[in-house]
Amino acid sequence: MAQTSITDEPLEKLMDINLNDLLRRYRSHPFKDYPIETPHTGMVSFKVKEGQVVKGPGGEWLHRPGTLLYIIEREGNTKRVTALWNGKVSGIRLDLEGRFVEAGELLLFIRHQLDKEEIIDRILTQVLYILPAPQRARYFLAPEISIKMEKRPEGSVSVESGDEVLIMSLMKRDTVISYKGVPGALYKVYFKSGAAVEQGSPLLGICPPDKLQYVQKVIQRIRTEWEK
Amino acid sequence: MSKERVLIANRGEIALRIIQACKDLGLDYVVLYTKEDEFSLHVRIAQQEENGFKRAYRIAGYNDPNEIFSVADEAECTAIHPGYGFFSENFGFARRAAMRTRPLTFIGPRWEVIRDLGSKINTKRLAKNLNVPVIPGSDESIYNELEAEEVAEELFFLQKEQGIQHPSILVKASAGGGGMGIEEVSHLDAFRRIYRRIQNYAKRQFGDEGVLIEQCLRDYQHLEVQLLCSSHGEVVHFGTRNCTIQSAGRQKRVEVAPGFDPAVCEYTFDARAVLDRIVEYSVRLAKHVGYDNIGTWEWIVSRDGSPYLMEVNTRIQVENETSACISRLNGSNEPPSLIRDQIRVAFGDKLGFTQKNISFEGTSIELRIVAEDTKRGFAPWCGTITRFDYPDEPWARLYSHVPRDTPYKIPTEYDPNFALAIIWGQDTKQAKERAKQFQNRTIIEGKGANDESIITNLEYLYNRIDDVLQF
Repeated sequence: MAQTSITDEPLEKLMDINLNDLLRRYRSHPFKDYPIETPHTGMVSFKVKEGQVVKGPGGEWLHRPGTLLYIIEREGNTKRVTALWNGKVSGIRLDLEGRFVEAGELLLFIRHQLDKEEIIDRILTQVLYILPAPQRARYFLAPEISIKMEKRPEGSVSVESGDEVLIMSLMKRDTVISYKGVPGALYKVYFKSGAAVEQGSPLLGICPPDKLQYVQKVIQRIRTEWEK
Repeated sequence: MSKERVLIANRGEIALRIIQACKDLGLDYVVLYTKEDEFSLHVRIAQQEENGFKRAYRIAGYNDPNEIFSVADEAECTAIHPGYGFFSENFGFARRAAMRTRPLTFIGPRWEVIRDLGSKINTKRLAKNLNVPVIPGSDESIYNELEAEEVAEELFFLQKEQGIQHPSILVKASAGGGGMGIEEVSHLDAFRRIYRRIQNYAKRQFGDEGVLIEQCLRDYQHLEVQLLCSSHGEVVHFGTRNCTIQSAGRQKRVEVAPGFDPAVCEYTFDARAVLDRIVEYSVRLAKHVGYDNIGTWEWIVSRDGSPYLMEVNTRIQVENETSACISRLNGSNEPPSLIRDQIRVAFGDKLGFTQKNISFEGTSIELRIVAEDTKRGFAPWCGTITRFDYPDEPWARLYSHVPRDTPYKIPTEYDPNFALAIIWGQDTKQAKERAKQFQNRTIIEGKGANDESIITNLEYLYNRIDDVLQF
């Protein structure tokens, strides 16, 4: 297995954000349009209409599925696809109703209003020390880090230069990625294990100990100022 | 043969070769592609030839059998060609194709044959029973770490007993193939770490975490025997080839047919007799299991000329054309198309020729052109190919899914192999000269994400051409 290391922007950048500007920008357009595409081929049957309000998963452990969006049938098996976000249905492709569709076919959008925690997540990408994806590839947390994260609360797993943090699966080869940067707490994991991540997209957010207070201040301020 | 419609369930250059074979046989075809492959030449050609009938379907992934069968039904296909892809050696897939409500002809051996020979472990067991020599090691999949360690310990001990100075073993994903999921362990202390890594890799890539442990032979040549069989009990061979030149990750890079050439290289053994022996052993095993399609028998030949069967690839291979290129049917000047023959026999045809009709002429060399950095452990290079030119010569063929008239971004989901060049010469000397000439006149340009120039293995291939066929 090959080895490589990644690093990113200088530490000074951590403080170099204008929180007021960021918040103003998000307030003027607090939405994210999520495209809903078919996960695979099959026959599609819609269960929502244009403009319908849908709900994402609910319950204490998000165990209640969201609103049923559509059913796709392939090889005699049906898959019920539910909304992963609260929002409103737009751009629905009713012309595909009852038809065989290919994988990745755009079916509709869900216009989702960002909530406080999502705003925090977005702003943190500009506050934390970010490790971006060096290539478009599939990423996994290194087994050691993954085990630690399962056992300890968020933000308490620390990393330092030389630690094996990620496995990049690219062109059918696995490459171990070692961390190279300021030591700190692994504050945020931005990818889903095994998912394809575009080059440059954030993978991990690291918070150096001396900046922890600042990061918490930013979070506190958003929590106080963001209405919803 | 009635009008059949073949679903081509693989990507890259092999999809193009299968398209051509279908067209030669007057068969319809349909291709699959993923989002990452939408600019691949096999998709473009299929779309250009649609004529009101959809020939290219986008699927979620080549490794999802439901996607393949779903498109096969939608496109009304009657057969599936798995190429040399994920399902080509998966007996479960072949069985499903044959036994589903709407059966499809699987273009490959019967599923029972794939079951018996598709697994390296079963193959070893069968070979042992037929007195065909195999590499020392485990003859069943290992799932238990302690058991694995015991086997490893024993293999290290045996090598020390034989006086081997630097003993080592190979840990292999037993469901793997094509050189994927193999690592060498040269000290028992490192075994557990590597075992876990391979097990983890095998589970993710092949859905089976079984591991095979073998003695790592050194100073050997990697040979192959190309067979073609039919369901009528016919077995012929198209000679041998030598695939010893491989990347650090055990991926073949230069292949030559025939497997040895005593006219240009000195061997400490009777090279022709060894080639005859491995052909005879391969045919013996093929006849025993009732092999009924195309297949490759892979061999290790040690410096003293001892052959060991490594595995059987129950499929068409990247390098099959290297053997075809030196084969002549009934004295024809044109090499046979093994893919065409593979499709014919899958539909129940007889071969239409016997071993006596096959003769061999000259030497062929295949160069696998890959975007990789051979100086950094063959690390794959990612980026866009902006220019790809190669000489047009009667003695050379090139297969590639990379379009020549538009920039092509190499998908990061798959191998960075992007072309195969096959060169023929009247003898090994001429084949080598022509291979070098071909390489010299091939131009590849491209840019990476940070505007850096493309890195390919062209120079490496050039430098290795002189090493072929010798220990």
